Amino acid sequence: MALKMESKTIGGVTVVRCIGRIIFGDEAAALRSTLKDILSTSKKVLLDLSEVNYIDSGGLGTLVGVYSSARSAGADIKLTGLSQRVRDVLQITKLVTVFEVYDSEQKALAAFH
Amino acid sequence: MAIGSASNPGLERTSGAFPSLILVQAQEQRSLVLDHSPFSIGRKIDKDLVIADPRVSRDHALITSEDGAFYVADQGSKHGTFVNGERVERQKLQRNDRLEFGVRDGAYVIFHPISNTSNTAREFLSQISGLQISTDTTDLEKLTMFLDAARKLNTTGVLDEILVTVADTTLKLTRAERAFVFLKTEDGSLRLAAGRNSKGEVLIDDTTISHSILDEALHSASEFLVTDTSQSLDLAGRHSIVAYDLRTVICIPLRKPQVQARREVTAITAPEQIGTDIIGALYVDSRFASRDISSVSNDILRAIATEAAQLVENARLVQAEEAARRYQQELAIASSIQQRLMEVHIPEVPFARMSGRNLQCKEIGGDFYDAVSTEDHFAVFLVDVCGKGVSAALLASTLQGMVYSHLVARMPLAEIVAAVNRFFTQKHLGEKYATMVIARINRSGELEFVNCGHVPPLVVSNHKVMRPEAGNLPVGLLADATYESSHLQLQQGDRLLLVTDGVTEAENARGDFYENERLEATAAQSSSLDEILASLAKFCGGTPLNDDCTVVELVYTGLT
Repeated sequence: MALKMESKTIGGVTVVRCIGRIIFGDEAAALRSTLKDILSTSKKVLLDLSEVNYIDSGGLGTLVGVYSSARSAGADIKLTGLSQRVRDVLQITKLVTVFEVYDSEQKALAAFH
Repeated sequence: MAIGSASNPGLERTSGAFPSLILVQAQEQRSLVLDHSPFSIGRKIDKDLVIADPRVSRDHALITSEDGAFYVADQGSKHGTFVNGERVERQKLQRNDRLEFGVRDGAYVIFHPISNTSNTAREFLSQISGLQISTDTTDLEKLTMFLDAARKLNTTGVLDEILVTVADTTLKLTRAERAFVFLKTEDGSLRLAAGRNSKGEVLIDDTTISHSILDEALHSASEFLVTDTSQSLDLAGRHSIVAYDLRTVICIPLRKPQVQARREVTAITAPEQIGTDIIGALYVDSRFASRDISSVSNDILRAIATEAAQLVENARLVQAEEAARRYQQELAIASSIQQRLMEVHIPEVPFARMSGRNLQCKEIGGDFYDAVSTEDHFAVFLVDVCGKGVSAALLASTLQGMVYSHLVARMPLAEIVAAVNRFFTQKHLGEKYATMVIARINRSGELEFVNCGHVPPLVVSNHKVMRPEAGNLPVGLLADATYESSHLQLQQGDRLLLVTDGVTEAENARGDFYENERLEATAAQSSSLDEILASLAKFCGGTPLNDDCTVVELVYTGLT
């Protein structure tokens, strides 16, 4: 599988660092189940995508799915560290307007408080 | 082991399409074609089937065909008409039903809805019994040959035939009274798959089968279990043995053949292993009143266990193969329907023309385009459904139908995509969505378009390229998404180019993408879609496409 996830907690926010590709199949499924587990205990999640070099249409669907179900469950989920490629995809699909995106981890963490 | 087989000198072969009746009289067997209705049976000489027995009435019964089914109706006979041992007035006939007219111990008739030349295992057996294939060939071995032949002919329903024949053959070998074949279902329980008695009658599951012995056999590691109730002291809890007066029960677990081979090597089977390789069970029994079958030789039982298991397993494989083949056929039909739906018929209008190209990578992709013309408008749409394969194709067809019909109804573009989004999100298709562009132009060159998360269209005007960035969210992702369309004025000769991201993300061997810049430069210089595709192919070199590439061009030719 081409996606690894590491999580740490900073000031009550669970920061999930994704490394690799978010693509349809095992990767998207892993992202979904990992975030589901985290969201069952933490209501503040920051997704660090700085080491995600590729996201395909299926991966994007999963990201939006996780994002909107977390939101409707009352959780706060933000994105940071968008690579140019991921930024482009979010720009084309206009999903950049849906996600809360921050330039740095610091700014994102501050926004939770 | 050589098995004596009954000879059937009277067996006739009939041709083709009609059902048949097999008349069994003493040692003779004759086949009658049911090629007309009504088919009369009686003692009178003018009947279709004449049975010269005083207990048969002169006008005894009729077999009629109604809507493809066959019925037997008694004609007020003195001694009655019987189907599978039960007296009937009128009854619908099922495959292998046994019909008797007045006489319960004489001639009987077996009903076959399919012609005599079809794959009836028992008929095959009786046919080849006459041939001297090899004196050493057992009936079960012959059945294996039958199975091979059936597989080659892609015949259906092999398993049922095999099971009934296994039951019949086992009865013949053991000289028992009843035989049942059970198959293990997916949940691990046993399901009765065939039941026969020594008279060839169909038996169903009832309380007279000793399920306790069946269970015991399945949980033991032995090849077969012979229970002689006259020797057994503990009959507590064995209701059916007592109730049905069973004398001997032989139960043979059917094990997967290859596992059985391994079992011989490892003499001790771990307890948790027992039962996992079972595919079914053969159960035969006899009552006290009947003959004693407890002395059936162990060799015969062992042979039945091995051969029957092999046969049943092979029949299951044939059935699975057949199911897979039919499934493939269904898929092929679905695929051809899908292709016909996706076939684009470009309408001709005096003020615009369009063309489109689609390069598909390996499997069915989610790209498609279509065009619709109404009285004064011409509309094109290009859609990229996320994912690939059958699921993407299904969504694509639904989407195409919705967009197409809404365009025909001349709905505003923003409303069309909002309706599609609503439909997709309400159906909870789970992370399935699509990006698309719909563009509609009128005679005066007024262009309206709506972009839903798609690569921005290119407007090529006088070798200059413009990219209108206005856009909306994809459809199917978010229920509360709102959509807006944009407007542009085209001049005569202006071109609108729609592409999917397969084009901009096409890679070359170095891992570079084709990108918007190359696309725009090529679009500005080229005059046809083929030039754009040629540029794309040149860029990629030999690197295969990762995604479908679709390009659609709409040219405003103006009113001339």
